[in-house]
Amino acid sequence: MYAILVDVTRCTGCERCVEACVLEHDLNIRAADKDRATTRDGLTANRFCTVLPVAEGRFARKSCMHCLEPSCVSACLVGGLTQTEEGAVIYDADKCIGCRYCMLACPFHIPRYEWSATVPFVRKCSLCFTRLKKGEIPACVEACPNQALEFGEREDLLEIARSRSNKDPSKYISHIWGEHEFGGTCVLYLSDVDLDALGWPEQEAVAIPGITEPLISKTPHIGIAVLASLCGLNWIIKRRTQLMGSAGEEEK
Amino acid sequence: MTSRVRWIKDLLWLFVLFAAVAALFRLWFGLGATTNLSDAFPWGLWKILNMVGGVALSTGGFTVGFLVYVLKLDRYKPLVKPAILIAFLGYGSSCFALLFDIGLPHRFWHPILMWNETSFLFEVFWCVLLYFTVTVIETSPTILERWGFRESRRFLHRIAPFVVFIGISLSSLHHSSLGSLFLVTPQRLYPLWYSSLLPIFFFTSAVGGGLMVVVLAGLLYARWYDPEPIYGTARAGQAPLVCALNGQRVSGEAKLTPGKELYRLTGLASISSFVLGIYLLTKIADLILSQKVAVLLSWTWESWLYFGELLIAALIPIVLVAIPTTRNSPKWLGVAAWSAAAGLALNRLNVGIFGYFRDAGAVYFPSLLEWALSLGVVAGGVLVFMFCAENFSFFGEGWKTRSKPLSIRGRMLGNPLRAPQIILRNPLHRVTLIAVFTIPLAWITLYPPYTQGRGQLRAVEASLGLDPLRSTLRIDGNRSGISTDFPHADHQNRLGQESSCSKCHHISLPEDKSTPCSRCHRKMVDDTLIFDHFRHMDAVAAQEELSGWLPVNHSCRVCHSEGQAKSSISSKACLECHDQNMSIDQHPKKEQDFQYAPSFQTAMHETCITCHKAEAARVKKPHLADCSTCHQSIRSRELVLAATVVPDR
Repeated sequence: MYAILVDVTRCTGCERCVEACVLEHDLNIRAADKDRATTRDGLTANRFCTVLPVAEGRFARKSCMHCLEPSCVSACLVGGLTQTEEGAVIYDADKCIGCRYCMLACPFHIPRYEWSATVPFVRKCSLCFTRLKKGEIPACVEACPNQALEFGEREDLLEIARSRSNKDPSKYISHIWGEHEFGGTCVLYLSDVDLDALGWPEQEAVAIPGITEPLISKTPHIGIAVLASLCGLNWIIKRRTQLMGSAGEEEK
Repeated sequence: MTSRVRWIKDLLWLFVLFAAVAALFRLWFGLGATTNLSDAFPWGLWKILNMVGGVALSTGGFTVGFLVYVLKLDRYKPLVKPAILIAFLGYGSSCFALLFDIGLPHRFWHPILMWNETSFLFEVFWCVLLYFTVTVIETSPTILERWGFRESRRFLHRIAPFVVFIGISLSSLHHSSLGSLFLVTPQRLYPLWYSSLLPIFFFTSAVGGGLMVVVLAGLLYARWYDPEPIYGTARAGQAPLVCALNGQRVSGEAKLTPGKELYRLTGLASISSFVLGIYLLTKIADLILSQKVAVLLSWTWESWLYFGELLIAALIPIVLVAIPTTRNSPKWLGVAAWSAAAGLALNRLNVGIFGYFRDAGAVYFPSLLEWALSLGVVAGGVLVFMFCAENFSFFGEGWKTRSKPLSIRGRMLGNPLRAPQIILRNPLHRVTLIAVFTIPLAWITLYPPYTQGRGQLRAVEASLGLDPLRSTLRIDGNRSGISTDFPHADHQNRLGQESSCSKCHHISLPEDKSTPCSRCHRKMVDDTLIFDHFRHMDAVAAQEELSGWLPVNHSCRVCHSEGQAKSSISSKACLECHDQNMSIDQHPKKEQDFQYAPSFQTAMHETCITCHKAEAARVKKPHLADCSTCHQSIRSRELVLAATVVPDR
């Protein structure tokens, strides 16, 4: 399980990561720059990675958080979104029917839609899955000039983050965003300011599949229970009318 | 057929034709150009009103089936066929509308082969698909009856109980699952509507509201075709509605005999209001138990919507059905039914659309085209309902008066104003005439390039979509929601078209005319450091390497003086290099330090006010340089009055 660690104190907001992402995925460069104003966080169908000002002089990269228990994967009705063993949540354009439930389900508002296309698809960060397969690290991490982005095993990065904030407690808030939120994510944040602007929840948030999946697994049982009780009810009422009919005959 | 029915049909056809044009445009231009859906609102009118709402409104099919086939309440037997027809048409039209909503309609069959059992949407898809098949099986005997088919009808009758039972189980599953769809957004949906009981709310409200729709259909059928069984008979032997149509007034003394079929509808309404009562109580219990009363009493606009929804969805129908006088009056029963149906639709809109406004920080209002398709699909469903009611025996003998319905042909012949109606008796001629007028009208009003800026026009500053041609830009530098409308086209005209760009814009980033001002003027009140050191390092290195002069790390000395600490002070002035490629002549602050971009506010004010002051003096109109010249919107004016600025995001 791989992860990216974002150290907000090191990010200068140069947007090198965005540039690298756009070039890596062969996105429309002009649209990536231009359409950023059309959404609240700057993520668009041509911009999977964005840099947001989170506080005075503080910036942070935002893209798909690659949750450990991804809501979109659980919600997609055709299984078009899947989680790989590397931790990447990837999208299969061949399956998608365009229902956009993933966009509703994502707690971070990540998936974007190609609204202007006649045959549109969902677009989002894939943790550079094809590069991972080749043994390379994600393009954004490679491009970062300040080591604000680091890539590695999730456990190792958590260890690094913990040691970094322990070593210099005055510099960091002693909280690793993404360690537990929504069941944990593969993009971790270490910061000295609050990160509400990135869509992190204010209080503890549980993984969304944890809410829905126990319910849906009960569905077949509920269906069978309803069917059985209908048959039972039907039988009882039938029997009652039968008995009442015969009772009426006896009285006569 | 009365002329009333004819006019209703004409109106419905108008909606259907509008929808046909809208559907064509949707397929041709794509979702973005035709709808107001966006990344902030991926689900809009078609999904929420037509699918989630439409399916909920057509629950009548299975609830009446339950009453008759399981509970053996024979008094509702004549309502089974109409209720099943409603279910069939409701589900059919909902799914039809959904075909235009999904991005790739040609792949609608994918969930049949590609499974994801953890998705509630997957479950809804399958249940709706199967239940739709059930309604097809249930309606087909009545359709086939017209042409005989005795054998197949006998077979269908034999499997009917089994089919009904399957239908009821499927319905109870997917109606609750439609509510569960919204369980995935605990952080986003407004807390008044988000509840772990959503599936139960959706189920009970759909059962209650769906029964009311059957009542409504019964009342409408009677009103349109044969009022007597429902609306009763006056002394003269005519139903009061027929009397009214004839222009005769029923005198106050005339005693009304209540319709002999009305008790069935009243009974259904009573059951419905009982279910709605349970719904209301669970809603209130949920409010109290999950401590949302404080949210409700904070009197946001959501609270009002919540109250309104409960009022029309549950309270009004329950009260009207509880009072015997209103319960037994077709008119008031109609009010109750309309109210419950509208309340059910409003609830779905609240949960699916309005509840997300606060989290999205934006507002979604469906485009004209979305409304056209949405309403047109419903109108189409009603038209098919009328067709079926006229041509097949969905409404049995009990719904028909013995005596022939009163004809109004005699009156029309003598009236020249009604002559067109007589000529256009042929339905085909009428529809053709409507189409001739409607389709061009729909084409003009819905044509996407007119109604919505496509692609390139969309992103110049955050244009929020009020001005169809984008001649006015909405300037909102820090996305605070407080904006100033800037008549861009007007300024362009005054200053001289293309050549005038540089009078206001400095085109600093080479070959990039579309960079928003806020790209560099990033903060509202503070200056922003925009000097990109890395870009300069690369650029300098690239330049020098080309001439084969210096390796990368030695490029420092191109700007920084040697022997001094490298800082912005010890560096060369920007203009020493950038004297050629920066068109800064018109820019008011050209002498200033280039490392810093002035704040967004300063940038805008300096550019606008400098020019406006000069112009005000020239044309002797001092008010031209007033704050209120630009800050015209109400919130923007408040800003001027308070002389404050909303802090940066």
